[in-house]
Amino acid sequence: MRGLGVVPAGSRQHRRRQIIGWALFALVVVLIPFLIADTYSPTIFGNRYTVGLGNLSQAIGMMVAILGLNIATGYSGQLSLGHSFFVGSGAYLTAVLVNEFHWSYLSTLGVVVPGLFLFGVLFGLPALRIQGLYLGLLTFAVAAVFPSIIRLDEVKDRTGGSNGLQIESDLVAPSWAPLNTVTEWLHAIPGVGSRVPDGLTSRQEEAVYKYFLLVIVALVCFWLVRNILAGRVGRALVAIRDNPLGAAANGVNLAAYKTLSFGISAAVGGVAGTMLAMHSGFVGPDEFGFAMAILLIVGLIVGGAGTLHGAVVGGLAIRFVPEWSSQTQTLPGTDTALEGPYGTAILGALLIIIIFVLPGGAAQGFRRIKARLMPVAPQPPRG
Amino acid sequence: MVVLASVLGVFDISLDKLSNGELWLAQFFRGLSDGATYASVALALVMIYKSTGFINFAQGSLALLGVYLAYIFSVEQGLPVALAVVCAMVASAVVAAFIERVFIRPFPPDHVLPLVIVTLGLLLIIDSAVGIVWGFRTRSLPSMFPSGAPIEWGIAQLTWRTIGNLGTVFTVVGLLYLLLSRTKVGLAFRAVSSNLESARLVGIRVGPTLGFGWALAAAIGTLGGALVVPDLLLEPSIMLRVLIFSLAAAALGGLDSMVGAVIGGLVVGLARNLLVTFLDLSELALATAVAVILVVLLVRPTGLFGSTRVERV
Amino acid sequence: MSSTYLEVRGLKAAYGDIQVLHGIDFSVDEGQIAVILGANGAGKTTTLRALCAMVSTEGSVRLGGEELAGQSTADIVRRGVAHVPQGRGTFPDLSVEENLMAGAFVRTDADVRADIEQWYETFPVLGERRTQTAGSLSGGEQQMLAIARALMLRPSLLLLDEPSLGLAPMITRALFEQLTAINEEAGTTMLVVEQNAALALRVANQAYVLEAGEMALSGPADELAADDNVRRAYLGY
Ligand SMILES: Nc1ncnc2c1ncn2[C@@H]1O[C@H](COP(=O)(O)OP(=O)(O)OP(=O)(O)O)[C@@H](O)[C@H]1O
Ligand SMILES: [Mg+2]
Repeated sequence: MRGLGVVPAGSRQHRRRQIIGWALFALVVVLIPFLIADTYSPTIFGNRYTVGLGNLSQAIGMMVAILGLNIATGYSGQLSLGHSFFVGSGAYLTAVLVNEFHWSYLSTLGVVVPGLFLFGVLFGLPALRIQGLYLGLLTFAVAAVFPSIIRLDEVKDRTGGSNGLQIESDLVAPSWAPLNTVTEWLHAIPGVGSRVPDGLTSRQEEAVYKYFLLVIVALVCFWLVRNILAGRVGRALVAIRDNPLGAAANGVNLAAYKTLSFGISAAVGGVAGTMLAMHSGFVGPDEFGFAMAILLIVGLIVGGAGTLHGAVVGGLAIRFVPEWSSQTQTLPGTDTALEGPYGTAILGALLIIIIFVLPGGAAQGFRRIKARLMPVAPQPPRG
Repeated sequence: MVVLASVLGVFDISLDKLSNGELWLAQFFRGLSDGATYASVALALVMIYKSTGFINFAQGSLALLGVYLAYIFSVEQGLPVALAVVCAMVASAVVAAFIERVFIRPFPPDHVLPLVIVTLGLLLIIDSAVGIVWGFRTRSLPSMFPSGAPIEWGIAQLTWRTIGNLGTVFTVVGLLYLLLSRTKVGLAFRAVSSNLESARLVGIRVGPTLGFGWALAAAIGTLGGALVVPDLLLEPSIMLRVLIFSLAAAALGGLDSMVGAVIGGLVVGLARNLLVTFLDLSELALATAVAVILVVLLVRPTGLFGSTRVERV
Repeated sequence: MSSTYLEVRGLKAAYGDIQVLHGIDFSVDEGQIAVILGANGAGKTTTLRALCAMVSTEGSVRLGGEELAGQSTADIVRRGVAHVPQGRGTFPDLSVEENLMAGAFVRTDADVRADIEQWYETFPVLGERRTQTAGSLSGGEQQMLAIARALMLRPSLLLLDEPSLGLAPMITRALFEQLTAINEEAGTTMLVVEQNAALALRVANQAYVLEAGEMALSGPADELAADDNVRRAYLGY
């Protein structure tokens, strides 16, 4: 396959390509919920797979959770195997605030973000003395403990114990949201239109509305994290990861930045928790246990540690791989159904394969393909 | 006195319980028995950490696989339990050696992070494979030791099982000590753990030596699992809790000390049983393990017996 | 005239993408002592490591006529090549005695015990500390242990990377006397990298000067010792 020809970085053509890229991305993000409002379900090799809007929304929550983990582990190199703890705390905080104080979902972020930031900082303080594998060991154990903390007698009344908490608030699209109008327009377009229903049922409308809310929260998170990482803080974190002694010698305050990274990381994790609570209207203790902690690591590595779009791929992977695996009723050529634990096994295998063949994750793969198809010459230094 | 009373109040401690000597003794025995099982898995973790510098998060999963095999050999094939356990130890050792060869050896030994992540992947794969093959129905594995208690003081019983668990662990430690200090393969293993480069320079084949370490660790872990499972029910998630307690035990002992792993295991087993009984913290049993890890890492990162070598990450 | 024992042709070595040796040739005659001199970073350690397959290499290494290239470190050691690496060459967690036993790891004969006792006589400090862990020895004692450990192989070729590192001048001189004695008695061929060029040139028969991964000079040790450039660069007078 031939590429698009080399363009110099920063040139008009390069800029134009970038703009076209982003516009396409925006278009896809906006159109998708309408296209799959009636669950998209392709049939491959006799198996019916679904791409539901609900699953996609949940994947968006996972993307933000991985984004949070990425700050502590991908960017500042502190192995955290217990990020589910922060995600779970955010989710439960939201659930309790909505149920007991009748806050709206989004307003709980006002408590979740600073609360989890502080929590992360508190957590980061001991992490200063505990490094590398030891930190991994500690966080691994912490992840396993979250469900039993939720089930404690002392907090059972609040958290619902083993039964979890149904959140008593519906997300209903406000009357000004033109979701139905857009649906009708799209339906009228010849060709594509046939995929779009000619009007949304109230359940579909709720799902589409939730999707857009989650997309907006996610975009804000990614944008904020991108800006933080592009600046002083990001440079300091990467310096600490790659060469702690050198960074310290250059006056980077290791302790402050490491703690800060844990704080930000936890806050973003908390937001992910809020998003997941919004998505499902329910929180249960075992959702946020050690299984999720490992899933997040899988997502981080599969997508690509230390990159932002890796979190997007990772979120999609950990949501859809197990789903599609369990929908594989007959594996081609055999009559095996890949139900239940197969999904986890496949994720585990994916994790190992990625570490072996593409240690930079999917992000590295994309970069390679992009460099092949749309080469960009680096800008020559100006003299 | 008032302070004491209020402290007791907060924790729901009843003085009746506290002054019940038999209860103490009963929990002491149970703690030792549990501790012995944690010690076995902790020993396995320490063997890998000592020789390679990373924590094998799949250690519990290898033990899980081993215990299921022991179940198959004993309950389904009708072998005597002890023999079934030995067969399962051998089988899990073979699996572990294979895993080491295929998934671990291709990485340079000092690339700790990818290796840890590979072990997490193995954890996912093995645990779900066990679920796929044997399902999620709970089963019960009989103990290797006779039931009943030769020594009793009221409710405090020193059961055959407790004696057997402790005896097994101390025997294992003794044999391991002899193997490592008196045999050539033991010398090779310790040389590799101590200085990889020099080990290669004296002609030791490092790969097979580490593979041997993995096999041995898996066998010991399986034995630990076979000791603990008769107290619980066998199902695919069983070893996760054991793994957490064993990690705590290994951290307490210093991660690279075998004696430390055993003492750490016994201490964690005792602490868990005493806390759960006297503070009514049954949901927090796991949290005590985390607390142990946290306090050890903060106060004395090298644990009770660990050497002060520099963290390799 | 003795025959060539170690013969190296076009040896290249690289750490990842960084090429360190750019195809060097040299040889050591049987039963002789050769010394490699060179500035820091010239590639001396890398050369010795390349001979033992401890770094990725290209080129030909022949030992007594047999090709070593492509063989694993473990196999090369079994051909009788012992290597005292620069710096930490011991097993710090093992006792002194176990270090010596590890040195004889590939030997299957019954004389290991006797050899250990012999090295205790040669290096009495080691005998006094036989049960102590190697990590608890002083730097100089560890260096002696590393050398004794290498000799436990009964090597036909001994590679020594800066054996005098951290040793007091008097001990260094004694050590080189030992090495010469071993060379004469057992006929062990030796390839030594050494910063103490004056001493090394005195005991060596052949000498090589490595510069930035290329062999810059070679010749009989006494000739090189008389060479003006070598004197200025390595002997300091
Ligand atoms: N593990 C390594 N990875 C990358 N580069 C290395 C490595 N080891 C050595 N080098 C590089 O190879 C070059 C030669 O190193 P080498 O250790 O062989 O030098 P040397 O001659 O032994 O120096 P010295 O006298 O300081 O011991 C140096 O530039 C060094 O930076
Ligand atoms: Mg050197």
